[in-house]
Amino acid sequence: MIVGTRKPLAEIQDMVKKYDRLLLAGCDTCVAECASGGRREVAELAAALQMAFRLAGKEMAIREASVDRQCVHEFLLEVVEAAQEADAVLSLACGAGVQALADRLPDTPVFPALNTLFIGETAERGLWLENCRGCGNCMLGITGGICPVSRCAKSLLNGPCGGARNGLCEINLAKELVPEVPCAWLQIYDRLSALGELDRLVELTPPKDWSCGDASGPRRVVRSDQQG
Amino acid sequence: MNQKLNVVLMACRQAVPDPLRLSNPLGQAGLNVRVIHEPCSSKVEVFQMLRTLASDADLLWIVGCPEPACQLVEGSFRMAKRVGHARDYLKEIGLEPERLGMTQLPAGNQEALAALAKEILERARRLGPNPARVSTKVEKEQP
Repeated sequence: MIVGTRKPLAEIQDMVKKYDRLLLAGCDTCVAECASGGRREVAELAAALQMAFRLAGKEMAIREASVDRQCVHEFLLEVVEAAQEADAVLSLACGAGVQALADRLPDTPVFPALNTLFIGETAERGLWLENCRGCGNCMLGITGGICPVSRCAKSLLNGPCGGARNGLCEINLAKELVPEVPCAWLQIYDRLSALGELDRLVELTPPKDWSCGDASGPRRVVRSDQQG
Repeated sequence: MNQKLNVVLMACRQAVPDPLRLSNPLGQAGLNVRVIHEPCSSKVEVFQMLRTLASDADLLWIVGCPEPACQLVEGSFRMAKRVGHARDYLKEIGLEPERLGMTQLPAGNQEALAALAKEILERARRLGPNPARVSTKVEKEQP
């Protein structure tokens, strides 16, 4: 899923301060799972903005809406309709959702309430980890289901860097991280060892073709069988 | 001039089985008191806390059980975390976080209940009207 966090309230307030009627649009999929942009968070932010603007001497009219997937145009009808009564829309979706909504609202300003961070996993309640960088050439089949591109701080493809201490990545020395970041390559080794498949690591992985990733401009997927 | 302030209490049914014991002394002291009985304090969401402060409360107080006594095992623990999160939000808003109170009250402890009523009354009077709620217009306290 896509993981994001809410922007500071002051930044949000500053973006929308010149408008009088605001629609807050949530997304009930990824950003709801990471407790930053679902209908609960929409309700929280609506109340918070109302109070913050009131303290600043302004009565802001705020409506709330939330859809299942803000990044899919078919799901946006309800928000687009609600936006007709608004001067601006504040989206609590990921960057893709914000842009899909902006595309459907050519005459209405759309602002992001979140900072979109990464593709991640809910590791435990209240803890989301970046586990995929969308590199476009997945090597999890070699590395035992543990991604060195996203989980190794240096994205090394052929083993650890030598900086690991006690099973932990050396980035733990640079800043306090809770929980501490393990060495992904040690995790890969332990996992393959447990599976009895260490031979997967015998062959060297060639330099990565980053043109499949984000190094070659906007990516797209075209599926003619899915197109109308 | 004394003012009639709105206090909303969201109270766990187990911690406060008879809410009149809490609301009566506060009402007699001149506060408008509304008690919302909850099956567990953990049922109160952050957005409900913020909405209540944005709409009608000068002071909001969540009352749950002591953590080991919570019938839902971790309800009081969750409530405390949510109150912390909501208070952080209030700081960002620029409103006093003390406008959101929290107590873990042993059920049936009349002394603790009286102390809580006293604390709520003092807090409400100290903070006064909530400038961030819909209308800060307050009624005069009845003599």
